[in-house]
Amino acid sequence: MLLEVQNLNKRFGGLQAVNNLVFGAEEGEIVGLIGPNGAGKTTVFNLITGVYIPDSGVIRFQGKNIVGLKPYQICMKGICRTFQIAQPFREMTALRNVMTGAFSRTADVEKAKRKAEEVLDFVGLGGKKDVLARELTAIDQRRLEVARALATNPHLLLLDETMAGLNPKECDEAVSLVNRIRNKGVTLIMVEHVVKVIMSLSKKILVLDYGTKIAEGKAEDIRSNENVIKAYLGEEYRRAIRQQY
Amino acid sequence: MQISVKSFTHPKGYVPLTFFIFLLILPLFLPTYFLHIAITMLFFAFVSEAWNIIGGYAGQLSLGNAAFFGLGAYGAVLLTHYYNIPPWIGGIVIGGAAAVVLSLITGLVCFRLRSHYFAISTLAIGEVMRLVFLNQRQITFGAEGITIPYKGNSILYLQFLSKAPYYYIALALMLLGMYITWKIGKSRLGHYLVAINQNQDAAEVVGVNSARAKQIALSVSAFLTAVGGTFYAQYIYFIDPDFVFGLGLSIEFALIAIVGGVGTVMGPVIGSFLLRPAMESTNALLGATYMGVHLIVYGGLLIAVVMFKPEGLVGWVGGLYERFLELLPRKEN
Repeated sequence: MLLEVQNLNKRFGGLQAVNNLVFGAEEGEIVGLIGPNGAGKTTVFNLITGVYIPDSGVIRFQGKNIVGLKPYQICMKGICRTFQIAQPFREMTALRNVMTGAFSRTADVEKAKRKAEEVLDFVGLGGKKDVLARELTAIDQRRLEVARALATNPHLLLLDETMAGLNPKECDEAVSLVNRIRNKGVTLIMVEHVVKVIMSLSKKILVLDYGTKIAEGKAEDIRSNENVIKAYLGEEYRRAIRQQY
Repeated sequence: MQISVKSFTHPKGYVPLTFFIFLLILPLFLPTYFLHIAITMLFFAFVSEAWNIIGGYAGQLSLGNAAFFGLGAYGAVLLTHYYNIPPWIGGIVIGGAAAVVLSLITGLVCFRLRSHYFAISTLAIGEVMRLVFLNQRQITFGAEGITIPYKGNSILYLQFLSKAPYYYIALALMLLGMYITWKIGKSRLGHYLVAINQNQDAAEVVGVNSARAKQIALSVSAFLTAVGGTFYAQYIYFIDPDFVFGLGLSIEFALIAIVGGVGTVMGPVIGSFLLRPAMESTNALLGATYMGVHLIVYGGLLIAVVMFKPEGLVGWVGGLYERFLELLPRKEN
């Protein structure tokens, strides 16, 4: 088990954002994390990456507890993430953005530059490396975030709604990128609202509602799970499924 | 960087070289008063360059750099006064070390805060130091200030009868400050500081230890500022807490870099070369007319820069410089 989360709890005032969450990610897996708005998906990411400290619970990465480590220490251990709203270094070129990530593995400027160029090519931004991040389109900014995270050589990559608002063609490109990342041996956990995409990518899907895990399993099981339909997918979805079969 | 004969036949090579030679021979013909202005230009370029590392690259608006400046100044003067220790050791080594220690304390406390709150907290550090040196009268002579024990012409005690040696030291300091800034800017640390400046949370997530990077930047800035303080004390021969630990000085460091252009090597130099002569000449020309007129003119200049070139003058001056180079003769390869 690459990542093991046990009895994770986080409370913000009167809101139990994450409630006794248990889940894990095997090496090479793509885990999908879905649920309605405010279900605690992003909070789970913030807990894993050390942005928040859990009230209780254990997060084990490669067998070691990482609770209490700072975000940069967790990055050095091999976990990186993207943000729901892209947070590039706006006044830097795409190349320098990605170099910042690459510097986590080398202090050598030339090496970092080569690594960054390689990763930019990989995500399809090779031609825009000298463009300022703020001048990139919203979609390219998200690609840039993925590139910046990949440049840190993560074992585990957390993608927070990378595909929200993409048109079908862009969505296909994003799916292919995620598959290529997985093929490089990177384990992924994805928060995603585009249910079709997550169902096709992930073998294991986790459904959160009010901070509690209400279902876990394969796409087919999730799709027909009563609780999930009630909380998230909705009756419309049930009807659509019925018509399909 | 390769230096060959060819690079001196191109304006990009011979213009900076000519300017540098001009700076080197300047003291030979400049009248004393103007030499003094030239020294303050070079000197403020240096201390503002030091501020630029933490305030510009890392974007942490320090308004307490005078605290480090004062330690360098008082370290030099007090240790010469009491123990005959030369300012090289008393100011640069001991005063510099004290400034680094203070920067560690400052970092520990102030880096918990961000943006304006950080600025306000550093302001308090400077004020605390000023009050300590003002009130520990038995040791520091308080508000009376203290004069450097006179040693005559002496390199060991950094005292010279003419202004020319001070000029060359100030020039060397400025070049040193520019070199260090340039080196940091190109390194991983420089990349990290700029990243922290733009988005600290995003930087942390991709492996940037922001607390450490900011601390290094502040400590380097503190040390260089202390060196500036030592130079100032040796040049002026007299220091008092209200000036060397004063808020006015802290603001001056920041202002010069902001007017010139923060986060660039040339910014503080351009800022200082514009603002110092402006300050001195408005003072000389208008100081005797109505009280405060020179400050009004100086203030107006600052407002104009901030209104029309809020990102600093460096880009604009750089553009003019490029166009000037175009006009000059060149030998194509």
